[in-house]
Amino acid sequence: MENYALWLILALLLLAAVFLPRWGLRSLVRRRLAAQQRERVEDALKTALDQQWENRPLSLRGLADYLHLSEQAAQRLVESMQAQGLLSLRGSDLALTPEGERTALQVMRAHRLLERYLAYEARMPLEKIHREAHRMEHTLTPAQVNEMEAAMGFPSRDPHGDPIPSLSGQLPAGTSTLLTEWKANLPARIIHLEDEPPLAYAQILAEGLHLGQVVRILEATPERYLLSDGENEYRLAPAVAANISVEPLEETILTGEGILPLNELDHDQKAEIVSLDEACQGFTRRRFLDLGLTPGTIIFPELLNSFGDPRAYRVRGTLIALRKEQAAQIWVRPTTEASA
Amino acid sequence: MPTLKFNPDNCANCPANAQLAQMGVKIEAFDRVVALAGNPNTGKSTVFNALTGLNQHTGNWPGKTVTRAEGGFVFNHVSYKLVDLPGTYSLLSASQDEEVARNFILFGQPDCTIVVTDATALERNLNLALQVMEITDQVVVAVNLMDEARRKGMEVDTRSLSRDLGVPAIPIVARTGEGMQTLLMTMEQVISGAIKTRPRRVQGTPEFQRAVDELSPQIQRLLPQVANPRWLAIRLLDGDSRVQEALLSGELIELAGAQRRADTQFSQKIALGGRQ
Amino acid sequence: MTTPPQASETFSAYDLLAYADKLRPQLGENFRDTIVNSLYSEAEAIARRAVHQKGDRRYDLDQRIDRIVTSPIFGLPIMLLLLAAVFWLTIVAANVPSQLLATALFWVEAQAAALFDGLGIPWWITGFIWHGVFRGLAWVVSVMLPPMAIFFPAFTILEDLGYLPRVAFNLDFLFKKAGAHGKQALTMAMGFGCNAAGVIATRVIDSPRERLIAILTNNFVPCNGRFPTLIMLATVFVAAAFPPAFASFAAAGAVLVVVLIGIFFTLVVSWALSRTVLKGQASAFTLELPPYRVPNIPRILYTSLIDRTLFVLLRALGTAAPAGAIIWLLANINVDGVSLANHVASFLNPFGLLLGLDGVILLAYIIAIPANEIVVPTMLMVYMGTGMMTDVGSYDSLRTLLVDGNGWTMLTAINLMLFSLLHNPCGTTILTIRKETNSWKWAGFSVVITLGLAFLVTFLTASLARLLGWG
Repeated sequence: MENYALWLILALLLLAAVFLPRWGLRSLVRRRLAAQQRERVEDALKTALDQQWENRPLSLRGLADYLHLSEQAAQRLVESMQAQGLLSLRGSDLALTPEGERTALQVMRAHRLLERYLAYEARMPLEKIHREAHRMEHTLTPAQVNEMEAAMGFPSRDPHGDPIPSLSGQLPAGTSTLLTEWKANLPARIIHLEDEPPLAYAQILAEGLHLGQVVRILEATPERYLLSDGENEYRLAPAVAANISVEPLEETILTGEGILPLNELDHDQKAEIVSLDEACQGFTRRRFLDLGLTPGTIIFPELLNSFGDPRAYRVRGTLIALRKEQAAQIWVRPTTEASA
Repeated sequence: MPTLKFNPDNCANCPANAQLAQMGVKIEAFDRVVALAGNPNTGKSTVFNALTGLNQHTGNWPGKTVTRAEGGFVFNHVSYKLVDLPGTYSLLSASQDEEVARNFILFGQPDCTIVVTDATALERNLNLALQVMEITDQVVVAVNLMDEARRKGMEVDTRSLSRDLGVPAIPIVARTGEGMQTLLMTMEQVISGAIKTRPRRVQGTPEFQRAVDELSPQIQRLLPQVANPRWLAIRLLDGDSRVQEALLSGELIELAGAQRRADTQFSQKIALGGRQ
Repeated sequence: MTTPPQASETFSAYDLLAYADKLRPQLGENFRDTIVNSLYSEAEAIARRAVHQKGDRRYDLDQRIDRIVTSPIFGLPIMLLLLAAVFWLTIVAANVPSQLLATALFWVEAQAAALFDGLGIPWWITGFIWHGVFRGLAWVVSVMLPPMAIFFPAFTILEDLGYLPRVAFNLDFLFKKAGAHGKQALTMAMGFGCNAAGVIATRVIDSPRERLIAILTNNFVPCNGRFPTLIMLATVFVAAAFPPAFASFAAAGAVLVVVLIGIFFTLVVSWALSRTVLKGQASAFTLELPPYRVPNIPRILYTSLIDRTLFVLLRALGTAAPAGAIIWLLANINVDGVSLANHVASFLNPFGLLLGLDGVILLAYIIAIPANEIVVPTMLMVYMGTGMMTDVGSYDSLRTLLVDGNGWTMLTAINLMLFSLLHNPCGTTILTIRKETNSWKWAGFSVVITLGLAFLVTFLTASLARLLGWG
């Protein structure tokens, strides 16, 4: 008798474990499958969009390769996406429908906003953000993406310099040239660092190149590219250099002689702030601005300490201590008079 | 509650200097709410202590007041709740202390906001004053640390300051109590409307101006009672999520309505109550 | 150009937001930059019209002081000297009031107990109230209050002057190397006053990761409540080894060394945390060095003496009184002819000895979890058991009690100082950490690292000392 009761309870528990609406095994599996499906669809959309922008055809096999799927799985995916009206077939090539393109832009938007958030607000190392954003982009609701965008003040570019599509799917215009097509000795600003393939991206970061940096090509041979930012020289293989895009400088910024980062300013030397580095974004930039570190402001290093870092700067009547890394993000032009 | 007394000698030209009663934390019933805003280390807490008789700690390091402190005082038979906001350089970033200060000035609906500034670093301090003046018209600027300024050989012309800002600027030395009576009387007049403020609004670039000019009428159309459509326009253009949320939830509409009601009620009270 | 919504249409909040979204792209990339730039240039123009500088006084007094106290050569020595001076002042000035208070309060205890006996009230009521609860209070008031009442105002004067941000400025390089936020030095300095206040002060750190590091390590600076313990030990043991003329300086020096060890552990633990559980990149930090202000001495004295004294007394009422009661019960309930206190103490003793301490000290720390102020009083009361010995007002008789009566050595004193520096935060601080982090996990974690480190360090010193044949 008791045994029956025990078995009954056990059976009920087992049933509950499988069929419980929220925590049951069945709904867990179902949710996991749905998430996986969303991830695959979104990745397929992004791949299709990339190929479309580069004017390359995308075959079923190509898609399977990009997504690391078997051809059967890819086939099933494409069929379901066709049924949703996201993809269509042109001959043997896959093409995005207008609806598909719209959705793909939203996925890209989530990805790039996330990258920007991770890099500038959460301050995650640049080489990690792509993977993390890739993982998280499939879990966000559109409302969350919009909130994130507003919280960051509607940025137009991600940390690699890629444009971020707006809610209506528009891309901010910009003129960019591949570094490999840029003329030697003409200064240019880096506006895009391609993060695929990761190996090339890691190499660019390891060299110390970053977004917003102004460089010129000293030497371009089939073996290597030699770049300079006026202080350091950077050596890159041409294949890696092709992952960097640049734009021409506007005349006013940083072309003038005698501009240097604040941390290199001599003690007690007065200087005028020229600009905040473009690599300085997010919370740091807002904080700098709020402290009155705006272009045209007079600043000078007033206090050293035993370790030489940080230094305290006098700006708008107040002493503000900045570490070397922060001061390096502020460009200044020394004025002729000394402060003392 | 132990109190620190004003030194009446410091207020030689005040018509009546015995009208302040510090109420410490006894603020259950009050007629008016006054907020203290300002940069860090400008002596806001000292002003707060001088008015309420409380002993809010006045340590000299940035960020010391992270939450807001509240106290009360009675001036000319009207009782005030005084709220000491965290010291901030700006109201634009989303750091915790700035959020607290900004939200109180906007949603706490103080009848008057006193911006305490440091006479020795005015341009930095006026940046915040200008931002407060974007949110509300009811502003008095207290130019504190006048003694330090004198010590440093600086002359601060508060008349020029008042004229340029469009709100009263009162020189004070909170530590000794100098100028505090004048500050309180000015605050009273700003609240009663005897002094009409015309806060200076920053112009910005032509594009900025155009966008603000286009958006503001739409805000007025949606929220006819709201006091600061221009500021709301700027915040919406900047994508301020807290303001967007308040707009969607109807909080802003309620707020504007509430302010109107309080104003009419109170002017009757002043008329009946003891203004000598 | 964007067309505004037509007047005839129905117009909702959503439409307004959509309209703002449409206008936004016209404003260009760095809208926020533009706003702030125009605000500051406006402010600059207004200020220029209103402020007139008479004469050339660029380097005023503030700047001259700053050049000295943050100087590459004198900055750190001045900081150490100032700290040592504060400790010395506390040690020297607290001595006499402590003894007077002790004499007076224990006289009251004796008189009251005699009165109760005379009235025929049962011995256990008299014992519980006067030799338990009241004695707990008397100990806290006489041993703890005077040093606190001197240290706290002295520290507050430094704080109100504006010296603490300079300390943060001088030490920032080390904190940077440890992967911590620059303002952690500031919150650490606040911890000298009270660790709970230090934990609250970490709100100035915007990055949650770095803020957690600051919270978890704040306890490694001894707070006002723990200084009296350190001062007593330094006076009784370290100072006694020096000629009387130098004794107070030696004691201050010893306390300073303990504080430096605390800062060392702050840095080491921050370093370890920022490379393991709390990994991440350093966030940007800006530290304002405010102008010096003349502290309002009457207000500081008033605040520290009235508010602080009241606070300590109330906290003592809340913690020392029950602790006194518990100790009295432990000491007076006998099992197998031995008091409970002795049972517990001898149970803890082997472990205590392993750490270079003893069972009574550990028992005292367990009872004193709610408030660090009562560790020493608790310890002394257990040592004295039920005995009526109440004249331990002077450091000499303390020494006699501890060394001759209970076998303390220099190792015990050093390890107790280390343990007091490193052990778990007091109850108030733990609750504050829970509140500030909104998680019991981090509050628990703070206890685990501090206690773990306290056990480890004392164990290592004890082992080393024994290996070398001291102890």
